[in-house]
Amino acid sequence: MTTTAKQSRKAKRASKGTQGEVMSTWTKVVIYGVLSVFAAMMLFPFIFMFGTSLKTAADSFSFPPRVLPRDQLTTTFQGEEVPLFVVSIDGEKRDAALVEEGIRSGLFALSDDPEDTIAWPLDLVEATGSTVDYEIEGEVETLEVFRVPVDGEIRELPKIRNTSVGRFIDVEDGVSEAFGVVRTTEKAEEISANWSNYSEVLDIRSFDRSITNTIMVTILVVVGQLFTSIMGGYAFSRLRWPGRDKLFVAYLGSIMIPFVVLIIPLFQIMVQLGWNNTIGSLVWPFFYTAYGTFLMRQFFLSIPTELEEAAVVDGARRWKILWRIFVPLSWPGIATLATFSFLYAWNSFIWPLVSIDVGNEDSSVLTIALSTLGGQGADAPQLIFAGVTLAMLVPMIVFVAAQRYFVENVASSGLK
Amino acid sequence: MADRPETISASGSSPPPIKERGAAPQWLMPVIAWQAVLGVAALLGAVLVAAGTLWDLSGLAKWIVAALLLVIAFAAALGVRDLLAGKHRGRAIGIILNYLVVVVSGFAALQNMGVFRGLDALGDNFFNVAWVLVIVAVGWVLATQAERFGGLESKVRLAGRVVAGVGVAWILLGVGLLPGLLEFVVRLVELDVLVPMLVAVAAGVAFWLLRKDEAGFYFKTSRDQAEALDGFLFASPNVIGFLAFFAGPLLFSLYVSFTSWDGLTELQWVGVDNYARIFGLQFTSIDTGQLAADVLKDGYTELMRVGDFIIGARDRLFWVGLRNIVVFGLFAVPLAVMPALALAALLNQKLPGVKFFRAVYFIPSVAGVVGIALIWKQLYNATVGFINYGIVRLWDLINLLPGADFEPPQPEWLSNSRVALFSVVIVFAWQTIGFNTVLYLAGMQGIDSSLYEAASIDGAGKWQTFRKITIPMLRPTTLFVVATTTILALQLFNEPYILFQPQQQPSGPNNATLTPVVQLYQEGFQRFNQGFASALAWVLFAIIFAITIFYFRRQSEDEVGA
Repeated sequence: MTTTAKQSRKAKRASKGTQGEVMSTWTKVVIYGVLSVFAAMMLFPFIFMFGTSLKTAADSFSFPPRVLPRDQLTTTFQGEEVPLFVVSIDGEKRDAALVEEGIRSGLFALSDDPEDTIAWPLDLVEATGSTVDYEIEGEVETLEVFRVPVDGEIRELPKIRNTSVGRFIDVEDGVSEAFGVVRTTEKAEEISANWSNYSEVLDIRSFDRSITNTIMVTILVVVGQLFTSIMGGYAFSRLRWPGRDKLFVAYLGSIMIPFVVLIIPLFQIMVQLGWNNTIGSLVWPFFYTAYGTFLMRQFFLSIPTELEEAAVVDGARRWKILWRIFVPLSWPGIATLATFSFLYAWNSFIWPLVSIDVGNEDSSVLTIALSTLGGQGADAPQLIFAGVTLAMLVPMIVFVAAQRYFVENVASSGLK
Repeated sequence: MADRPETISASGSSPPPIKERGAAPQWLMPVIAWQAVLGVAALLGAVLVAAGTLWDLSGLAKWIVAALLLVIAFAAALGVRDLLAGKHRGRAIGIILNYLVVVVSGFAALQNMGVFRGLDALGDNFFNVAWVLVIVAVGWVLATQAERFGGLESKVRLAGRVVAGVGVAWILLGVGLLPGLLEFVVRLVELDVLVPMLVAVAAGVAFWLLRKDEAGFYFKTSRDQAEALDGFLFASPNVIGFLAFFAGPLLFSLYVSFTSWDGLTELQWVGVDNYARIFGLQFTSIDTGQLAADVLKDGYTELMRVGDFIIGARDRLFWVGLRNIVVFGLFAVPLAVMPALALAALLNQKLPGVKFFRAVYFIPSVAGVVGIALIWKQLYNATVGFINYGIVRLWDLINLLPGADFEPPQPEWLSNSRVALFSVVIVFAWQTIGFNTVLYLAGMQGIDSSLYEAASIDGAGKWQTFRKITIPMLRPTTLFVVATTTILALQLFNEPYILFQPQQQPSGPNNATLTPVVQLYQEGFQRFNQGFASALAWVLFAIIFAITIFYFRRQSEDEVGA
């Protein structure tokens, strides 16, 4: 490395901190710490989404909630495949197979705390014939007392109520058994991905059709917006025609007007034209964009006039000048507009909600399909999240690929 | 386009020597005749529409259409006169008129053919070939990234282009381009397609002839005039869209807001009644033991009561929605802006890896609000959700402190009416922070570094520099960020809709998340009170407009002050 290069790099490094002073390690740790905490907050819902999209139906409602998907282990017991649990046998935790369910049992109190209980089959306990007063939630009840085996010794315990239990057999010795309420027994699990949620969500409610519809709508809207914006941006920046400036002020004003003002009349126009409830209603009205025109105008204004004048003197037609000179010089602007149009078309919700009837699966788009899925599949979050993951996949890919245009041009496009 | 001759005449290098103007082109008389026919047709149309025989239009629309046709007839007549006189204005009118005829009758032909509604059929076919897009994408990446292959660059680029081209062709064939074209030809013979199509073709020919260089010569079109014509044509796709899908609907919606309309039957003019209903308030006093209905006028319901003072409203929900959105904005805007400022300040320290963090913060803005709201709905689940579980764990930590024994709060985020709005605030702020951070970061990078150098020479500390230089210099950014975030917050709809549907209405528990847009949606598309909903939309627009004006005022004051 030459000395000058070294110096310039040093100078660069010096100007890096806002004040050019060297940052202490502690400051850096604190900065990275804060940045990481926020990054975790931003990413956690997405990680949770992806994890849940791989869960089994039972796992998705487990408590405490978990991020990673888990599957219950199974084992073969006497030729049958049975689920595996972790139960306490003779005072120690062991892997045990669930071999029998729905055994009529009693729930017996181990202490004064009504939560501290043991469940045991009624056939295997013996009534003492005596009763005892026991307090549950402030009310004293008279309970029967039974002889119940607890960790190898027989104790006399009051029966709170009847319940139903499962029989667990230790998988190692194949003999020791224990009883417990299946629902509350800890499961023996391993981390595993249940990818079938994705194929399942693609099978229901024409979710797959919504994906291709969304892709089609997005492509058409992006192409249409680019076309009208490039043409309009050129007309507003480089050509003089009567009424241009007044119209442009109207355009600028229209950017501020919320879309909701237009929903009702636009819906009526769609009804009049017979376009409501069709994909066309999601495409044709959105070919025009004041924002895009504004953006392209700003980009075209920054292109030197000489280039254009030389071409005009050469006798080139404006159509050619636009597409051969202006467009190639404005790629950053076009890409920015394309990414914004893409996001807008892909994620728009209220307009499809109004225009596309519920149940019209042929014209449905992803946001509508997700909303319906979210309502109908409330008991199957793993399917909802598989759908959400699929819907977010394309924007995420585009975001990673075109990050520059998303992030770096947001400011220039918004603030100019 | 007619640039070449005009360029020559404008630069004055070789003006046509003797002849003032060439002989009239042979096609001129037929074009003039065609335009005369157009004018007469427009006049006839205007009369028939006004008489009500041509088109089943009602009320205002009838007169607007008739007036438009009259204007066209008048313009055509003027054009014919000027064309005969060889004036440029005649050519300009002819070009614009024929262009409009092409657009309108072309649209009519395609509409009658069902092309615009045909996207659903296209969707059927696209469903089968959508996967080919992957091939197109691969080809495109190859073509654009070809320089990375060094010596193979040109070959890779060519290969990429071929792959992408084949993919596009495949898709076009796959969506039924050929049968579509065939269908197009077959459908042409239908009368309601053929007539407008023929008109469009005739107008197209006239348009093309008038646009020719030859016409430019003959009508002595100057360079500026040619530029103005080009300007109209280039702007036209945009302007037509602006008129058809923005300005037109906007005016229509203003009209509808003064009517009572269910969207299907005839609308009824009700004057300002919709607005009167929105703003109708009654202030009066009430004695203890008296019912609200006893003191309030008919149609008014109790909005709030302070002591023996009572406020009644004709549309209670509007005021509830307004209160909700104000409360929402008061919490959501600072929550979405202040952390963004802090994060931007940290990112601006230019440590390695800031680009990664910046990208991560931006992800929620990209992900799409429907999906995000669905995720949060699960996180908010009162019994198995992560948030309440996280609270329990946090309280476990706190309770480790000696003497601490607190019961962790377990709010029902989505069903408790006191909490529901704040659940939405959190989602909104979470989603908006990243975008605002990027805006702030750009603002900070635009601050002149010499200011910091001067401050550092004066011995100012970091915190002081941030407060005395960064924040004041960021004023325009702050104004912009606050204004856009506020406008976004006022239009809140998607988050409550997804979070509360379908177990509850999007207005949430006990109308806790009823926002103006939610009310608009419910009135307009669930109860089909489209007149009243339009009035709501305009009130919301007025509020947003006021904020925008306020923003621009402050901004220009700043600029003048600086």
